[in-house]
Amino acid sequence: MPEGIDAATTRPFTVLVADDNDVAQRLCKRVLEKAGFGVLIAADGLQAVDTAFRERPSMILMDVAMPGIDGLEAMRRIKTEMPSLPIVIASAHSMASDRERFLAAGADNVLSKPFRLADLISIVEALAAAAKQ
Amino acid sequence: MLPESPSTSAWTRGLARRATPFAAVAVIFAVQALADGNPVLAFPLYLAVVLLASLQLGRVESLAVAALAAVAILIPPLVLGAQTVDLAPVGLLAAVLVAVAAALSELRRQARDAAAKARQDAAGVLAREQRFRTMLDIAPTGFALTDPDGRWSLVNDRLCEIAGRTRDEVMHVSLGEITADADRKVLDEALALLRSGDLQLWEAEIATVLPDGGQRPVAIAISKMPAQPTDATSLLVQLTDISERRRVDRLRECLVAVRQVIVSSLSWEQAMPQLLSALAVHLEWEAAMHWAVDQERRTLRVRHGWQAETGSARGLVERSRGLSIVEGQGLVGRVWRSGVLAAEPDLEHVSDAERLDMAYTPDLRSVLAVPLVEGGAVIGVIELASTRARAVRDDEVTALATLGVEIGQFIRRSDVGQALRRSEADHRAIYERSPIGIARISAEGELVEANPALLSMLEHDFETMHENTWPELLHAYDQAASRHRAAPLLAGITDGSTVQIRAATGSGNWLWLQLTATSIPDANGRPEHVLLMIEDVTAVRDTSDKLAEALESQRAANANLEKLDKTKTEFLSIVSHEFRTALTGIQGFSELIRDGGLEPDEVRAYGGYIFNDADRVNRLIGDMLDLDRMESGRMTMRSGDVDINEVLSEAMTRAAGSATTVEFKADLDPRLPIVSGDRDRLIQVVSNLVNNAVKYSPDGGTVTLSTRTEGNYALVSVTDTGLGIPPDEIGHVFERFRRVRTGAAQSIPGTGLGLTIVKQIVEMHGGRIWVESAVGHGSAFHFTIPLAAANLTPLQLRHA
Repeated sequence: MPEGIDAATTRPFTVLVADDNDVAQRLCKRVLEKAGFGVLIAADGLQAVDTAFRERPSMILMDVAMPGIDGLEAMRRIKTEMPSLPIVIASAHSMASDRERFLAAGADNVLSKPFRLADLISIVEALAAAAKQ
Repeated sequence: MLPESPSTSAWTRGLARRATPFAAVAVIFAVQALADGNPVLAFPLYLAVVLLASLQLGRVESLAVAALAAVAILIPPLVLGAQTVDLAPVGLLAAVLVAVAAALSELRRQARDAAAKARQDAAGVLAREQRFRTMLDIAPTGFALTDPDGRWSLVNDRLCEIAGRTRDEVMHVSLGEITADADRKVLDEALALLRSGDLQLWEAEIATVLPDGGQRPVAIAISKMPAQPTDATSLLVQLTDISERRRVDRLRECLVAVRQVIVSSLSWEQAMPQLLSALAVHLEWEAAMHWAVDQERRTLRVRHGWQAETGSARGLVERSRGLSIVEGQGLVGRVWRSGVLAAEPDLEHVSDAERLDMAYTPDLRSVLAVPLVEGGAVIGVIELASTRARAVRDDEVTALATLGVEIGQFIRRSDVGQALRRSEADHRAIYERSPIGIARISAEGELVEANPALLSMLEHDFETMHENTWPELLHAYDQAASRHRAAPLLAGITDGSTVQIRAATGSGNWLWLQLTATSIPDANGRPEHVLLMIEDVTAVRDTSDKLAEALESQRAANANLEKLDKTKTEFLSIVSHEFRTALTGIQGFSELIRDGGLEPDEVRAYGGYIFNDADRVNRLIGDMLDLDRMESGRMTMRSGDVDINEVLSEAMTRAAGSATTVEFKADLDPRLPIVSGDRDRLIQVVSNLVNNAVKYSPDGGTVTLSTRTEGNYALVSVTDTGLGIPPDEIGHVFERFRRVRTGAAQSIPGTGLGLTIVKQIVEMHGGRIWVESAVGHGSAFHFTIPLAAANLTPLQLRHA
């Protein structure tokens, strides 16, 4: 608990990037770290769940099409345990119906791939600002 | 007293007459006595008195007078004693007087008897003649005596009556003159023959002419009288009035004629003109009409009419045709209402107000209306009309009433019969002409009748049908029925349920027959026979089978379309996902490079990422275009000799360079001949299969490439020890956009077009491709490519 309190108060705002595509991983890591956020990486759904429970990130940037369990299933499991943890779905499934589908499944926000870097940063910063209050 | 005076005077006269002789005797006696004369002298006087008395008086009186005269002669000699007179002669004289008186009395008695007898005989003759005359006059036969030319000499009353004339009138005409013109010739001939003696008796039926011009039928018999000395030949003519017999004959003939028409006619409409003419002609009416009851309008209207060719009744039928007579109107309407025959014997005695029949003309004298009765109802009226007044006899009334009933029943019968015949004809026509086969089956299951359609449908004659085909059909019917839990054909009442059976025709064609059986019950409700309708439903069955097939293929096509649609949507989703994933890197890193501030190493690395993803996008586009070209047949192959082993080796080398976790093995048949194909495409096939094998072996393993000759084909196999394909997926792996996405395979990237393209290329080369796989043990993809025929020998030489 003290560690947790410590983490919540002293640690920087940490983003767990769950994506099976290494190019996407590298891009997000590079962009978010440059913006001053902490970045954790998970390469599939199960890793994302494990890392979320273990590392308690400030938020998760979650891909959908991943091996093992997909991003939606991972989000369901994580939200069961940590309902207040913000999860942003970042998917290349970007048809109109997909956005509704993801929000209905419990996502706090949706970022369509490919995305502008400024969009990624502003979504994360907004959540970080909300988390500080 | 006065009435008695004649008899009194007669009695007085009689007494005087009887007394006179006695007085004369007394006077003679007195004179003789006074003269004292000789009694003998007085004798002649006495004799005279006795003679007179005997002639005049009765016997007793005559004898009394004679006795008195004898006493008077005898008195003088006896009483007076006159001796002058001899007693003897006087006594003799007295005796003579008595004897004369007695003799005369006797004579007179005898004469009187004879006269009385003669008188009696004459009276008898007269009486007999009188009786004969009476008999002749009251005889039903007319008798006459004529001379040889037919002139009457004697006629009886009956003959006058038959001739319709008084005796005087008859005597003024000859037999010939009262004979109808038509019969004159035969009569004259007969008379000639009788005159010549060639004929003794002539009998005939002729017509006599009445003074009013009418005719009367008579039977005539003329015979020669036995030759008599007094006159030349005379003829006995006998005439009998046979008009009554003729009338009865006509009545009978009428009945016969009407009945004949009734029994020989099919319909009353056809019979009615003949019926009317039979009635009118035989019963001597001049017009006859049939009035029929119009059920709807409740009126009588003329349906048929008959009228004599000539005569005043002409036009009656035409005039009557337009009329509608209501119940009770006129004679016809009254008969309709009452149902009883009625007649107007003489219309002259009927007031115009009562006639009520506009069609009657003043010429018409008598009409008769006969109701046509059926089942107690009047269904029509037959009206007979004549320009003569004529009474209707009882027997005529009876006969006509009877005929009215018979004709009424006939009309109803013929209506019913006609309906039956029509129905029968309809059914016959249906049976004969129906395109549906119809068979009649006895209660025992025998084929009784089969219509032409059935015989031609099954291409059998009736005999074959009866002996062979029908029992088979029956058996097939019962089997089919039991399959549908229906009753066998002969199991009692069948309700028209339908079964379908298969049957062979005479020429060996197989038909689908639909059989519909209906039991026809007899009067007691037991099934008497079964009517079977047999339809050839082969075409229907074929059509419905085809329809079902078409529906099925339509359904399949729809399912394919749906699948295609779904696949297309999935494809779009997959393709856009692949593109966007690749573009994420390209866009993101190029944005970083653009914004600057990077280390040169970073820029280089990011450029590599961008390049790789751009290349991936390019590949995806290439695959899609390839497939589209192949499927639309627009892809051209550059055929040439290809060494498959070489293609495989190159692919293996290339793959081994990038996939470090997988071990490659080659099992290549060194004698494999050259194949004919497009080298680039075959490289595409092999690379695809090898890349798949590597991709689906995420935990490492062995990928084996092998070749061998299989007939005229080269058989190529790419075997891995990877994830394997689940059984429900294995049938679909060559379909486009199908990717195994379960379990560990879910994250393996791909366009979903690779294997589809592979299959297309293999098939374009004339080979085929298939896969064997077990989950957890790996997959083996095999494909064949035809050997190059032209290079068989050199290849074999090369490998020899």
